[in-house]
Amino acid sequence: MRRLTILLFLSFMTLAGLTPAWAGGIAFIVNSGGASISVIDMGTLKEVRRIPALREPHHVALSPDGRSLLVGDTTGNQMMFLDPNTGEVQKRIPITDPYQLGFSPDGKYLTVNGLARNQVDIYDAATMKLIKRFPVVATPSHLAYSPDSSTVFVSLQDSNKLEAFDLRTMTEKWAMPVGKTPAGVLWLNGKVLVADMGTDYIAVVDPADGKVLEHVVTGKGAHQLFMSPDSKVLWVNNRVGGTTVTLDPTTLKVTRRYAIPGGPDDLDFAPNGKIWITRRWAEKVAVLDPATGSYDTIDVGRSPHGLFLNPRAPSPTVVSSR
Amino acid sequence: MVDPLDITAGWLEEHLLIPALYQVGLMNWEDVSYGWALFAVYGAVQVVVTFAVCLPLERWRPVERWPDSGAVWVDVIYTVLSRVGILPLVTYVMFYRAQVFVTGWMADQGLVPPTLEGVFPFLLGQQVITFVLYAIILDCAEYWRHRLSHQFRWWWALHSLHHAQRQMTFWSDDRNHLLDDLISFVWFGFIALLIGVSPLQFPLLVLVLRFLESLSHANVRLSFGWLGDRLLISPRFHRAHHGIRAAGDRSCNYGAVLPWWDMLFGTADFARDYVQTGDPSGEEALATGTYWQQQMAGLRRFIRSFGRRTARQGM
Ligand SMILES: [Zn+2]
Ligand SMILES: [Zn+2]
Repeated sequence: MRRLTILLFLSFMTLAGLTPAWAGGIAFIVNSGGASISVIDMGTLKEVRRIPALREPHHVALSPDGRSLLVGDTTGNQMMFLDPNTGEVQKRIPITDPYQLGFSPDGKYLTVNGLARNQVDIYDAATMKLIKRFPVVATPSHLAYSPDSSTVFVSLQDSNKLEAFDLRTMTEKWAMPVGKTPAGVLWLNGKVLVADMGTDYIAVVDPADGKVLEHVVTGKGAHQLFMSPDSKVLWVNNRVGGTTVTLDPTTLKVTRRYAIPGGPDDLDFAPNGKIWITRRWAEKVAVLDPATGSYDTIDVGRSPHGLFLNPRAPSPTVVSSR
Repeated sequence: MVDPLDITAGWLEEHLLIPALYQVGLMNWEDVSYGWALFAVYGAVQVVVTFAVCLPLERWRPVERWPDSGAVWVDVIYTVLSRVGILPLVTYVMFYRAQVFVTGWMADQGLVPPTLEGVFPFLLGQQVITFVLYAIILDCAEYWRHRLSHQFRWWWALHSLHHAQRQMTFWSDDRNHLLDDLISFVWFGFIALLIGVSPLQFPLLVLVLRFLESLSHANVRLSFGWLGDRLLISPRFHRAHHGIRAAGDRSCNYGAVLPWWDMLFGTADFARDYVQTGDPSGEEALATGTYWQQQMAGLRRFIRSFGRRTARQGM
């Protein structure tokens, strides 16, 4: 009898080992209007707990070594460092107005956009020392790097501009009009794409001089762009239209349109092919099945904004009951 | 578990405000509009709850009965404007960004803006307790703001609009001169720098606090008893502040929700009983004028207050 039990136990262990994505996985959803971060069990799609933030957290970035998930708290003037496997708070350090943040592909720099303070700050990623502060005309909201980490592109929401900064010389390269209310930025095949929340298109911009090469219509209030992990599908969330569309990254033709009401904002990819989308005004996350267009709904806190999926993390349900 | 009021605000945002902003090319006001939607929805609920409770109370045991209660209507306008309408929007636009700017500047100088949670780390995550503590601090700040508004001539000129009402009801809490409102915003803007917990996180607590403020103006014979009156401000207690003889700097009972500050700083008077309200020193338009007549009369009194050094009557 006992042997049978052990055998059974071992087979469960193997099963668990074979399917790590389904054994657990944590999703972090940043509730910008609720001063908290929801910890979701990716297996059960249930909120397990909330990590308190100080005031108003918005966006996240994983450190280059993968050991910390940084969460910027804007009005709290604080950067939270979370353990991406457990959600434990590693530290909190004072940083001015960290709205949008992103590490350069070479892992050297961390760019922090101070939306309310009209500044773009470049930090040394290893030491978190401020290297350079660029004052900008208005409200830097999103950012993207060139793959060689030489340039960071920042959209200036309340102006009509995209601005490029040279990270080698720490100088401003250019600031060019690209649309009405520039939002999400993405590097794609040697071009920079900028979603325009004030219109219904994304602008394709020449990274050398900031000239707009063409417009691609995606939907009203084009807000944020994401490339799938296999680089085969480009996703765009349209804030006003309440839609998420997929595009072919080579032709930039819209291939499919999904209705995601409630102000779709950020998006992340789960290993099972599902797409997680924060719905700002609905206080929910949609877990979209791209094949069918239907989605599961998870209740989170007020105004969910940034999100991060860590499918390799152990189940947070187990962590919390420990 | 999603708050139905949040969902209502989200619906307003998605179906009315955002399409409108998109139409007129002001999508960069998106965040502000959502904040306003939340304020407006919660404000509307405050008004409805206050109305539902206070109206029966006023019918039940009124302090005064008026043959013509026309002067009450303007207070309804004040209430709706300040709790649902334009004033929350102004607060949001003016002070939200200013606050981020100033705290960010402080952090730049190496000064971390002090927060209660910073001083007492165990409070982090205890948002309800933290907010209650902040509410107490804010109430103390409100006591001093109010008390000072009775001391300075120019300030009293503005605040006297609040006191001019002879038909005081639960609607009267928000009747203030716009300049007086502006001063309050700045006053609390500074204090909020240190605090910064969004009241939107605690709609129920804010509702209770605002309800108590409205109730304290109600035309009702209601006291919370010897002990109760010393814990929370009752209609009886605040009515003494609005008494005719108490107008200006001879007043008492300046507190908003907690009577503790009056007791602590020697301005509490628990003896005055259901007095008549009003301010005979002000012109009639302050009491019975339309909204704009009252605002203009307040402005005139404000300007005059810098001219004459005599006639401290009614101060
Ligand atoms: Zn007064
Ligand atoms: Zn009063």
